[in-house]
Amino acid sequence: MDYRLRLAKRMLFNKKSSLIGAVLAVMIGILVIHVNFVIFQGLFDAIVRDISDYRNGDILVTDEADFIDKSDLSLASWFERIPYVEATTPRLSSTAEINMTKNGSLIEENRIPIVGVDPFRDVRASTVHQTIADGTYVFSRNSIVLGSNVAENLGNAQVGDSLKVLVVDRWGEDQIRRFTVSGIAKSPGGQGFDYTAVIHIDTLRDMMSRHGDTGSFMVKLNDPSKAFEVKEFFLAAFPNDDFVAETIEESAEEQLAGFRSGIAMINMIGYFGMMSSAFAIVTIQMMLVNGKTREIGIMRSIGAKRKDILIIFIFQGMIIGAIGAGVGTAAGLGYTFYAKETKMSFNNSLPLEVSYNWEKITQTALMAFILAIIASLYPSYRATRLLPVEVMRNA
Amino acid sequence: MPSVLEVRGLTKKYSEGDSQVKALDNVSFSVEQGEFVLIVGSSGSGKSTLLNMIGLLDSPTRGKVFIDGMDTSKLDDNQISSFRNKKLGFIFQFSNLLNDLTVLENVLLPRQIAGSDDTARKEAVELLRTVGLEDQLHKRTNKISGGQAQRVAIARGLITHPSIVLADEPTGNLDSVTSENIVKLMKSMAKKLNQTFIIVTHDRQHFGHADRVVTIRDGRAVDETFDETFDETFDETFEDTLEVAT
Repeated sequence: MDYRLRLAKRMLFNKKSSLIGAVLAVMIGILVIHVNFVIFQGLFDAIVRDISDYRNGDILVTDEADFIDKSDLSLASWFERIPYVEATTPRLSSTAEINMTKNGSLIEENRIPIVGVDPFRDVRASTVHQTIADGTYVFSRNSIVLGSNVAENLGNAQVGDSLKVLVVDRWGEDQIRRFTVSGIAKSPGGQGFDYTAVIHIDTLRDMMSRHGDTGSFMVKLNDPSKAFEVKEFFLAAFPNDDFVAETIEESAEEQLAGFRSGIAMINMIGYFGMMSSAFAIVTIQMMLVNGKTREIGIMRSIGAKRKDILIIFIFQGMIIGAIGAGVGTAAGLGYTFYAKETKMSFNNSLPLEVSYNWEKITQTALMAFILAIIASLYPSYRATRLLPVEVMRNA
Repeated sequence: MPSVLEVRGLTKKYSEGDSQVKALDNVSFSVEQGEFVLIVGSSGSGKSTLLNMIGLLDSPTRGKVFIDGMDTSKLDDNQISSFRNKKLGFIFQFSNLLNDLTVLENVLLPRQIAGSDDTARKEAVELLRTVGLEDQLHKRTNKISGGQAQRVAIARGLITHPSIVLADEPTGNLDSVTSENIVKLMKSMAKKLNQTFIIVTHDRQHFGHADRVVTIRDGRAVDETFDETFDETFDETFEDTLEVAT
């Protein structure tokens, strides 16, 4: 082992309080970034996950002219021939007026978003059916699933209740149907259909006089990383149609843009935290240098060059950086593991989508290591400026 | 015999407020290979300043130091470090070992600074055996006695086979018996290795070991032989110093 590394190690390990202080500074810097990442990136990914699972799939296909007039069966079959595609389901959306009589009084709710689904395909491509807190998902043409908020606004509508839904059709005529509540949907964080009513797609088509029309196709992939490839393949296969196909990043961009800049800001705060750790290292290293002036004087008097002294204290920075990065990364991974295993959520909101981003983990550890070295440069330089004769005189 | 050390007109001035103090005033002398030289003088006479100049730890205001015929005033900082490492050995009053290292590692350090070689460890062990510390090799230096620490410092001073070993009050911190043993050890090493030693000391009991005594008084080299008058003034000053110290 190089004598400078050995000396750096011994000097540092013999000053355990300084070592612990410096390592803690690096560790906390890294941990802050990991915690920020787990919480804010986890929240972002959870929102993306829920938008994808409940509404948009990995690819959302719409039509420039509002409605897709191709047969949903043929289009779904076309998609499902692609090995990356897990399932495809058609959806149709509108707004409705819902009224029901509860305890002898009529309750009306206007402008309720209503979604028509194919019950058989939808359970494969979406997880909305898993948010049914009470009852079952849509299973027949006259069954309706109410979002928990809609049900509450309708005087706490329950499974088995009967209600009337009014939809204005394409000709401007009111179309009224009676439905039986088959289920109440409630999702963590309200990202599902909590504010929406769900009925059979064919019933909604009838009510809207849109026979054979579909509002959108939700395509779920077994490998979401292939979304762009599948999208491009689809658009290339139907060049003469007015299809619009978007990946989840594209279709949810409007909802996510603000959040994305929020994450960037939080990350920046994390990196500023790491900069503060670097200042702590500078202070601790300065204390180490001041405590080792006698040793520096001895080294210089027996022939060590300024460069050798510089290297010793840079080695100390490297040791602090390496241990701090190791401990910080381990603590960060521990927190990430805990958050993932416990499906961490805040105030019963949506559970965080926690992932191990190895690139970011490595990048953070490396940055902490490099910062610790940079932070040790000034104290190391100061150490080289000590004059042996002065040091020996005062030793 | 060629001079290992030649000091020519060495002068050192310090500023103290508006006035200037002459710590050394035109000191000249030379030392030959294998000589055991004592530099003596009362407190503040300038002997440690002289040793720092010879050891290239400090630079003179005027004058030159030649070691092995080399004019050291022409060396830059890196060259001075290499020169100190290869040509000079240092023994300080408080031994000044690195407490973070073991006895053996302390002795090896100057050789490692020079660039480690295969024989260094063997030589270090041999030197430590010569100074009677073969059973203390792996002890931390803060776990050994003052006398043992000075022995380690002697071994460290000799490990690079320097042209001159410089010792600044090497016995100043030791009791009289240990002091005598340390000086005897240095004397025997000087003889055995034909090694030049230049020792700054207060201690009269060592004068008998010296091949030569250089007396410094008020920054001047008064006499290069044993100075009879020094004995009296030394006694007075030394007593004064002791009084102040106690």
